[in-house]
Amino acid sequence: MGTVDGRVVAINSSTQSKQWDYTITPATTIYTAPILHGDLVYIGTYSGQVYALTIARGTERWVYPRTGSMGAIVGSLVIANETIYISSSDGRVYTLDTTYGDLKWKSEPLADKLWTSPTVIGDTLYVSTFDGHIYALSAGTGELLDWSFKAEAGFVSSPVIDENTVYVGSFDRHLYAIKIGGDTPVWKFPKEKPAGNWFWASPVVNEGIIYAGCLDGKLYAIDTETGERLWEYDAGSPIVSSPVLMDNLLIVTSEKGTVHVFDLNANLQNALAPLKVIPINTTVRSSFCAREGVVYIRDENNQLYAVDIDKGEVSWMISLAQKE
Amino acid sequence: MNPWDFIIGNPVLNVLIALSHFLFGQFGLAIIALTIIVRLVTWPLNKRQLKSTKALQDMQPKIQELQKKYGKNQQKLQQEMMKLYKEAGVNPLGCLWPMLVQFPIWIALYQAIMRALATTPENLLDLAHRLYSWGIVNQAVPLSSKFLWLDLGQPDPYWILAIIVGGTMWIQQKMSQAPAVDPRQESTNRMMTLMMPLLFGFLTLMFPSGLALYWAVSNIIGIITQYFATGGWGYLKFRSPFKPKPAKGK
Repeated sequence: MGTVDGRVVAINSSTQSKQWDYTITPATTIYTAPILHGDLVYIGTYSGQVYALTIARGTERWVYPRTGSMGAIVGSLVIANETIYISSSDGRVYTLDTTYGDLKWKSEPLADKLWTSPTVIGDTLYVSTFDGHIYALSAGTGELLDWSFKAEAGFVSSPVIDENTVYVGSFDRHLYAIKIGGDTPVWKFPKEKPAGNWFWASPVVNEGIIYAGCLDGKLYAIDTETGERLWEYDAGSPIVSSPVLMDNLLIVTSEKGTVHVFDLNANLQNALAPLKVIPINTTVRSSFCAREGVVYIRDENNQLYAVDIDKGEVSWMISLAQKE
Repeated sequence: MNPWDFIIGNPVLNVLIALSHFLFGQFGLAIIALTIIVRLVTWPLNKRQLKSTKALQDMQPKIQELQKKYGKNQQKLQQEMMKLYKEAGVNPLGCLWPMLVQFPIWIALYQAIMRALATTPENLLDLAHRLYSWGIVNQAVPLSSKFLWLDLGQPDPYWILAIIVGGTMWIQQKMSQAPAVDPRQESTNRMMTLMMPLLFGFLTLMFPSGLALYWAVSNIIGIITQYFATGGWGYLKFRSPFKPKPAKGK
């Protein structure tokens, strides 16, 4: 887990204890979720550096750049083809070698700043920008490809790509579906009038349905073909974190700290009640993960909660704060 | 939502963002436009202040006469001056009101600039909950903080704005500051005329340049309106450096 006070903490879920704790100096904030690859864990910092630490002991393998900054990193890192793709607040995409942290290429400036994560599909990298562009870049060289898309309003969420279509949330309170190669959106959701707020979190696509959490507190299930609303569910407070799929379960957290678990095999068309609603009563804004029936959530006070879905309760929690 | 945000904070924020939508996405131009709007809204108050300034200017010969007459008896001087103000229907403290009215606007503007520019993800999330559902507002965000040489969310690193704010404030004060016959009073006046511009120049180095831009434009508008309303540069004297000073003792 990355913490708001600039530390990377490894928790052993079996012993429910800290395995190691790495402090980044000078202190900074970590907005990105750690990403594992091989024997290393990678993290980007708001001070504009990427750290590679060993998973086993949390020792530093490399830092890029060693001195200075590439611009604040807010969007999570992406790894594909032994390459780390990083969106930077200087408006460029940087790519680093996973083993040595060498710079492979950096793109030309694409916007004032990039806070969203890039998405890699095959040899192409897709980036959404605050000024309303979707850019396609060569994943190998960083060159801009022929196709790009421009909307009137900016894009707030990272692009999600499924079946040659980009799904992305906009500041104009719509979720856009854009066919790669097209110059007009296939659809915009909602059709009748804008949603109550922005689609801040990246949506999740599963079997022809897109699940999008909105800052208006609602989870929307939308038909990917038509953009029609299949159902909606009021989570009670803004949905800031992206939903997570675990087998047939869709897990959604709301800002006020309630975990909502939906069984996607159930007929949700008429039964809008989630399978489980588990309150943890804390502020949740960061991304979370789920594994083997347990949801791991970090709150804004640097507490880690392990929520057991079967039992419907917090099974254990641990403070990520540094010991005095 | 607290009453402050509901009544002032969020309306100022949304109007600023809406203005930048109409002004080519330039947040700096939106701040200038808002300054003009604020000046128009507070014009009745400013008009009264300018009238007071003009009346005080016209009363100067009488005031100087009183100062000569009762210079050694401060209590009597104050009484006579208050009588004179009353007769002329002038409130010497009336010029403070436009200043006081501007304080909440400064606070709201400072908050609006910091919120609108959203320099961190937390700020941007906070902004999401403050925006009205107006299409133009949502289409305008996120705003670019760049305007001319400035990053509107940061102080001006080149001190240019500090000099403009301090300089324009000094001119405006000099235009309305009547000379006093009492040397101590004159010395206090001179100190005040210097201290306020220095203070605001210093604040400009500490606060976001977006707020300093508001101060600079507001001062310039103030100078122009004062010039036309009082019919000239008031007490601001432009001395020619080539004019010889009279020799001492002659």
